[in-house]
Amino acid sequence: MPEVLHTPITPEETVLLRIVAQDPSVKSGGRMLTARVAVPAERLEPGPWGHRVQVLDYDSSSRVYCAPLVYQVDRRGLPVDPFVAASDRALLTNPQFHQQNVYAIVTRTLATFERVLGRRLSWGFHAHQLKVVPHAFQDANAFYSDRGAGLFFGYFAGGSGQVFSCLAHDVVAHETAHALLDGLRTRFTDPSSSDQAAFHEAFADVVALLSVFQIPEIVSELLAGLGHRRRKGVPRGILGDKLFVSRVLLGMGKEMGGALHLPGRVLRSSYALGPDRGAYRSPGFAEPHRRGELLVAAMLRAFVRVWQARLQPLGVGGHGDLDRERVVEEGASAAGHLLGIAIRGIDYTPPVHLLFGDFLSAILTADQEIQPDDSRFQYRRKLLASFAELGIAPTARAPSRLRAEREPRTRGLWCPVDGRDLSYHGVHQEAMRRDPDEVFRFLWENRTALKLKDEAYSQVMSVRPCRRIAPDGAPLQETVVEFSQTWDLTQRERRRLGLPASDGEAEDDDKTTPLVGGATLIFDDFGRLKYFIHNSVGSLRRQADRLAYKRDALRGGLAPARQFDEMHRRRAIDDLLLGSAERW
Amino acid sequence: MATEKPTSVRIRCYDVGFGDCFLLTFAYPSRERHVLIDFGSFPKPKRKSAGNMAAIARHIHATCKGKLTAVVATHRHADHISGFATTKKGDGSGDIIRACEPDVVVQPWTEKLDAAVDSPGPHGFLAADRAHVAALADMDRFRQSLLRRLADPPRGWGSAVRELGFLGEDGLRNAAAVKNLESMAPPKGRRYVFCGAESGLGAVLPGVGVRVLGPPTISQSAAIEAQRKRDDAEFWHILAATAEGGAGAAAGDGGGAGGSPFGARYRRKTGIPGFARWTVSHADKLLRQELLSIVRRMDEYLNNTSVILLFEIGRRKLLFPGDAQIESWSYALSKPEIQTLLAGVDVYKVGHHGSLNATPKARLWGRFRKRNRKETPGRLVTFLSTESGHHGTAKSHTEVPRATLLKALESESRLFRTDVAKQLTKKKGVAFIEHVVKV
Repeated sequence: MPEVLHTPITPEETVLLRIVAQDPSVKSGGRMLTARVAVPAERLEPGPWGHRVQVLDYDSSSRVYCAPLVYQVDRRGLPVDPFVAASDRALLTNPQFHQQNVYAIVTRTLATFERVLGRRLSWGFHAHQLKVVPHAFQDANAFYSDRGAGLFFGYFAGGSGQVFSCLAHDVVAHETAHALLDGLRTRFTDPSSSDQAAFHEAFADVVALLSVFQIPEIVSELLAGLGHRRRKGVPRGILGDKLFVSRVLLGMGKEMGGALHLPGRVLRSSYALGPDRGAYRSPGFAEPHRRGELLVAAMLRAFVRVWQARLQPLGVGGHGDLDRERVVEEGASAAGHLLGIAIRGIDYTPPVHLLFGDFLSAILTADQEIQPDDSRFQYRRKLLASFAELGIAPTARAPSRLRAEREPRTRGLWCPVDGRDLSYHGVHQEAMRRDPDEVFRFLWENRTALKLKDEAYSQVMSVRPCRRIAPDGAPLQETVVEFSQTWDLTQRERRRLGLPASDGEAEDDDKTTPLVGGATLIFDDFGRLKYFIHNSVGSLRRQADRLAYKRDALRGGLAPARQFDEMHRRRAIDDLLLGSAERW
Repeated sequence: MATEKPTSVRIRCYDVGFGDCFLLTFAYPSRERHVLIDFGSFPKPKRKSAGNMAAIARHIHATCKGKLTAVVATHRHADHISGFATTKKGDGSGDIIRACEPDVVVQPWTEKLDAAVDSPGPHGFLAADRAHVAALADMDRFRQSLLRRLADPPRGWGSAVRELGFLGEDGLRNAAAVKNLESMAPPKGRRYVFCGAESGLGAVLPGVGVRVLGPPTISQSAAIEAQRKRDDAEFWHILAATAEGGAGAAAGDGGGAGGSPFGARYRRKTGIPGFARWTVSHADKLLRQELLSIVRRMDEYLNNTSVILLFEIGRRKLLFPGDAQIESWSYALSKPEIQTLLAGVDVYKVGHHGSLNATPKARLWGRFRKRNRKETPGRLVTFLSTESGHHGTAKSHTEVPRATLLKALESESRLFRTDVAKQLTKKKGVAFIEHVVKV
């Protein structure tokens, strides 16, 4: 082992680690398709075990603990990938490669989130390191568990041999996205609406899908598989080709053969839905699994549109093939850009009671802030169009006079706050970037202007300073604050307000019904409030809908959204959740 | 010649503990005909007077004077068919029932698809139907593996072992009972039915109309579940193969000892490191949770294979749905003519011992016209054969029998329940409820 030089490692440094590009069944030239991806550099303990991710290879079914991967290191103490030239068989049968695979994908996904959001992220549990268990048990399941503070991947007998869910790139990215979203918005797992019930799974799908499309090796191979392997070119108009849709967009998961139903895989079949403006309001898409597919389909449609747009400069209506490498590159860029938009949008969502329309307004507004000029590829217009095709409209409406809002720059964006009515008296700008009490003082001073509910219990849940970097390199400094209000109603008060009981409370006058509301506050570089994205605790019509949904969810046997294992299994067996009306 | 008609039906509901056993005696002017619907008990009853299966079998034998017209085994759960098991000596409760030589034995199509009567469509059973039957067999394989594994459960599994064992064993194919049922009737009387199929009971019960309302075939269900995109047989096949050790065996590199997919050289020599103990403990709990979730789902699948029978005698209607849950009911309840028929039900055997999702609240119970808060002559009669403390918890609103359902049954119908001692008649080691429906 070389002598380690203890020179500092900069945050920008990366190491290259080999991973399975999609899953072991996707092959190129008869060999498993792998890729070398860049992950943030750090000195690792055996596991791999870094400052945010710890791989622990314990198998509950066999009660065997596999030896952890110990890296050889270079002169700076950075890990050297031992699997660069390993054979397929060596990769598949060596659990230590599996350990590297999950470590690299989880770390890479975390790094993507942190880069896009411009700050360190916390997990949704009280620990700094996410445990990742690549061979947790013999079961066709993989899931994030907040109680277990980690990701647990099963392995099982597939149609043509062993299937390790930890070797499926989209599954690992999907589970990591659950963990990250839980850290960003803890209350998105509350029973609130079928949109919110569907969102975690749908968002994880979007992250998984776009993460995979960012790997050039995969897209190149899939395009080559369309019969153009020997040519370096790709026919013009390929993205509109039915074969492209069926093989590349819809077919990626089918490669798994016997493992088709592996939970956590993105259900791309939703893309096959034709434009249907009635879909979002249709009872057929009320069930959470189905509903989630609408969001995935909308993002997928936008992705293909943007990809097409990026190919336009290569020659519209011309003759001859397009350069395959260039097509792949544009696809990876489109995927990367859209992934950034989707992730950044989370910061602009309300902290409670999310609807798909809220998410749409959030991603449009967040993108507008970081990249005001959208004229080149028109990402925002394409997103609006793709969501509209499935009947999803942005929640943002005309400015509210009550809260002194201004007109947004374009349709569908959140209305910016008109700061003239707000008081910053006695508030320290610097402290507002980190101190919940300071932010609470601001909220208290402005409780009338912001129409906060006096009777409710109020809490600043988080204060997160961010330094985001726009695609053109320009920095954008923001502070994101999550604020919640809980209004406990006695049963008498609830009845007087005409609200339904959420469950079992109607019979017990000693119990209270909690109404939850909240807001996300976006402050600019100067500590001025830019956006107040809220779901008011006092909005009785929406609260009535939420209570009714909660009651139905409890009676209908809906798995609590925090139980990702149960959610994934139900999805795997296409288990439709029947309404509560028939249960006792 | 005018068709002979029964003048009354005597319903005997035997106290088997947690399970079902109903003897229907159709009284004709010159004779009686007897139909046994289910005969099972699982787990061991808590009530001392309940579940003496041999005594119940002897009582049935004596009551029907050694001749049963028909036997209906609604589905394969032990709490519905365990009593049909025979012994090598030939003195089991199943042997006594067999000696009653039923002319017809009705079972769900899932028990023997190739022998199922008629076919659900012009092209017979579809691949999805066959896949469903295969999935049920895979579930059985999974249960067997699970029960083997429970012989040495990991530490910390505690009470989950009991529930896993209960659900696993209840669903496990009782080979002796299944074999007995398969051959108990002469070949032409062996009926494997689905919604809309001919039960074969009409021919042996003159003047009685018998409709099969469930279980639907997969093709029938698909007609009302257009959005369901795939069958899930493959998923269950994977689970079964995995539970049987297929996952470990297929790993290559020699596979590992003790079911590990990796060779022994990859095992950590010094065991579990201290820093991993917390995660190891959680992983063990998660596996337990996974298995519980799987066996509960399997339990529901088997319930949904229940034969649902509607007897029509004159204007009287008796509904026996086994343990059918809402998923199974959906197909029949989607038919307006069946909805109309069911609205007039006089006697309802409460589905699945009173669980929360086996008596569709709005589309079945809500439509029963003869529900009445007052004791009137035409008031709905309900039978509940159950024993509390076996399934679910009140805290999670899943207890069986479900309190809210019980409240509705008690207030809106004349409820007979086997877990209320004063309603039971006790004779020769047997406890049962008796009720006569006059036609």
